[in-house]
Amino acid sequence: MSRLLDVRDLVIEFDTRHGRKRVVDGVSFHLERGEVLGILGESGSGKTMSTLAVLGLVGGRPGVVQGQVLFDEGAGPQDLLADLGRVVKPRGDRLVKNDRRWQRLVHRTMRPLWGRAMTAVFQNPRHSLDPLMTIGAQVEESVRLAQPELDRAGRAGRAVEWLARVQMNDPKRVHSSYAHELSGGMCQRAMIAVALARAPMLLIADEPTTGLDTTVRAEIVALFRELLADRRRSMLYISHDIREVLFLADRIIVMRHGKVVETVAVADLKAGVGERHPYTASLLAAADLAFEAAA
Amino acid sequence: MGGRAERIAFWGSGAIVALVIAIGLVSPLIGYDPAAAVDYEQKLLGPGAGHWLGTDAQGRDVAMRLMKGTEAFFLPGLMAAGIATMAGALLGAIAGYAEGWGRTLVVGFLQLVDTLPRLIFIILVCTILNPSITLIAGVAGVLFIPSIATVIRRKVEALGSEDYILAHVAHGFSTTRILLYHILWLQARPLLIRQATYVFGYVLFVETALSYLGDYGVQEPTPSWGNMVAQTRELGGASAWPWVFPAVAIAVTIAAFLAFGNLLARRDEEAIR
Ligand SMILES: Nc1ncnc2c1ncn2[C@@H]1O[C@H](COP(=O)(O)OP(=O)(O)OP(=O)(O)O)[C@@H](O)[C@H]1O
Ligand SMILES: [Mg+2]
Repeated sequence: MSRLLDVRDLVIEFDTRHGRKRVVDGVSFHLERGEVLGILGESGSGKTMSTLAVLGLVGGRPGVVQGQVLFDEGAGPQDLLADLGRVVKPRGDRLVKNDRRWQRLVHRTMRPLWGRAMTAVFQNPRHSLDPLMTIGAQVEESVRLAQPELDRAGRAGRAVEWLARVQMNDPKRVHSSYAHELSGGMCQRAMIAVALARAPMLLIADEPTTGLDTTVRAEIVALFRELLADRRRSMLYISHDIREVLFLADRIIVMRHGKVVETVAVADLKAGVGERHPYTASLLAAADLAFEAAA
Repeated sequence: MGGRAERIAFWGSGAIVALVIAIGLVSPLIGYDPAAAVDYEQKLLGPGAGHWLGTDAQGRDVAMRLMKGTEAFFLPGLMAAGIATMAGALLGAIAGYAEGWGRTLVVGFLQLVDTLPRLIFIILVCTILNPSITLIAGVAGVLFIPSIATVIRRKVEALGSEDYILAHVAHGFSTTRILLYHILWLQARPLLIRQATYVFGYVLFVETALSYLGDYGVQEPTPSWGNMVAQTRELGGASAWPWVFPAVAIAVTIAAFLAFGNLLARRDEEAIR
C-alpha cells in the first residue's frame, strides 16, 4: 500500500487589496500510515493553510489551491485537487475561479472523506464546540455517523466511553454539560473525543494546546500520544512549540514564508545527525534555552 | 436577569395568550346564529346578569360575539405566522448558505417583496381580489417573509465562519443537519419565536384596521373584534359598552402576544447560554 497522504507542490494564493499573495509556495510533504508528522513554523508561515487544503476547507472567497493532494484510503491514491483545476482560469496575470463550481467539486470529493477518512481538531477548543449542545450530544453525533447500527442508549454509552478515553474525570457529568461549563483543557479533550469518535484515518490537530496552561498542555500532548500509540491512526500535528513536536512526532517539517525549509526524522534531530537549517537550529536553541531556564 | 417584574410579565402575558388560544380552539365548536341573536328589546344593555358584557345596538350578547370574534383572526394568524417563519427561515438559510443562481433568485424575491408597504399592499389585494381573512392572512404571511429571512440570513452568514461550524463540516456532519438543526433550531429559535408572535399580532391588527375601514374585513353579521369596534360609528355616542370590550380585547391581546413572544424568546436565550 502506498502512503496515506502525499502532498506535492501545493500552492495557495489569495487575491488581496495589495494584489496577489502566495501564502503557501510549493509545499511538499507526506505521511505514512500510522505516522505522526509534526509541522513547525512561525506565525503566518502557512501551516494552517496547508492542512486546510488537505481538508478542502480553505476559506476566503478568492483562495486558489493548486498542486496535488494524494490521499490513499487503501484502494490507491486519489488526488483530492484533481478536478479543481478545471474551474480555475487565468485572466491577465491572475487566476480566477468559479466559486460555486469549486465549492460543489470540493463537496463532491470531500463529502465521503470528511469525518471518516480525516477530520480536525482546531485551536481554541471553546469555539470549536457547539455552545448550545451538550458535550454528550456532540460526541453522540459522531458516534451516530461512525456506528449507525447503535440505538440511542448504545450511542449514549459509547459517548461516555469516549469521554472516559480522553481522560475526563467525571465522564457522566461532562456528558450532560455545555462547553461554557468546562475548562479550556476539558473542552479540548471533548473536541478530541468528538473527532476520534468518528474513527478517522487521519487526524489533523492545529495547535490544539494554544491558550491552555502549561500543565494542561502537557496533559493534552500526553493524551494524543496515548491515543495514537496503537498506530492505527495517522496525525498531522501543527505547533509553535518544538518540544511538543519532538515528544509526539516521528518526523517533522519546518515551514517558513510558505515554504518547507526542512524535513527531518525526530530520531535524527534528537541524535544530532546531519546539518540543520539555520532556522531549525534557532528553534532548537530556543527550546534548549527554555529547558535550561526550567531546569 | 429575569427579575420579579419580568416573571410577572411573563406569566401574565402567558395567561392571556393561553386564554386567547383556548377560546380560539373552543369557539368553532359552539354554534352561533347571528340572526337569531338579534333582540331589539334587549339592545344596548350594560354589563350585568344574563349578559355579562352587555348587548349591542341589535341586542346581541357582546360576550358571545367577543368569543366568536376570535375566529376572525385565530386560525388566519396562525397561518400567517406559520408561512412567514417557515418560509422565512428556509429562504434565509438558502440565501445565507447557497451560492450562484439559487441565491440570486431568493435574494431578488426577498428584496422585491420587501419593497411593498404592508398595509397598503393588503388593501390593494383586497380591492382586486375577493377579500377574505384567509387571503389577507396569506398575504400578510408572505409580506413578513423578507424581514424574517433577513435576520436568518445574517445569522447563517455569521455562523458560517464560526470554528465549530467548520469543525462540524470537517467531522462530516451533513449540511442539511448543520443548517436545520445547529443553526435554525438551536441558534435561531428565539428569533423565530419573536417573529412568529409578532406576525400573529399583526394579523389581528390588520383585521381590526380593515374592519374599521369598512369593506374589506369580516362582514356583519359575522362577528369580528374589528367590526364590533367599528359599530361606534352607528352608535353616535349612545352607549360605550358594545365597543369598549372588543377594543380592550384587541389592545390587550396584541400587547400580550408581543410581550409573551419577547419574554419567551429571552428565556430561551438565557436557558441556552
Ligand atoms: N483569506 C485570506 N486572504 C488573504 N490572506 C490570507 C487569508 N487567509 C490566510 N491568509 C494569510 O495566509 C498566511 C498563512 O496563514 P496560516 O494561517 O496558514 O499561518 P499559520 O502558519 O497557521 O500561522 P499561525 O501559527 O499564526 O496559525 C498568513 O500570512 C495569512 O495572513
Ligand atoms: Mg495556524
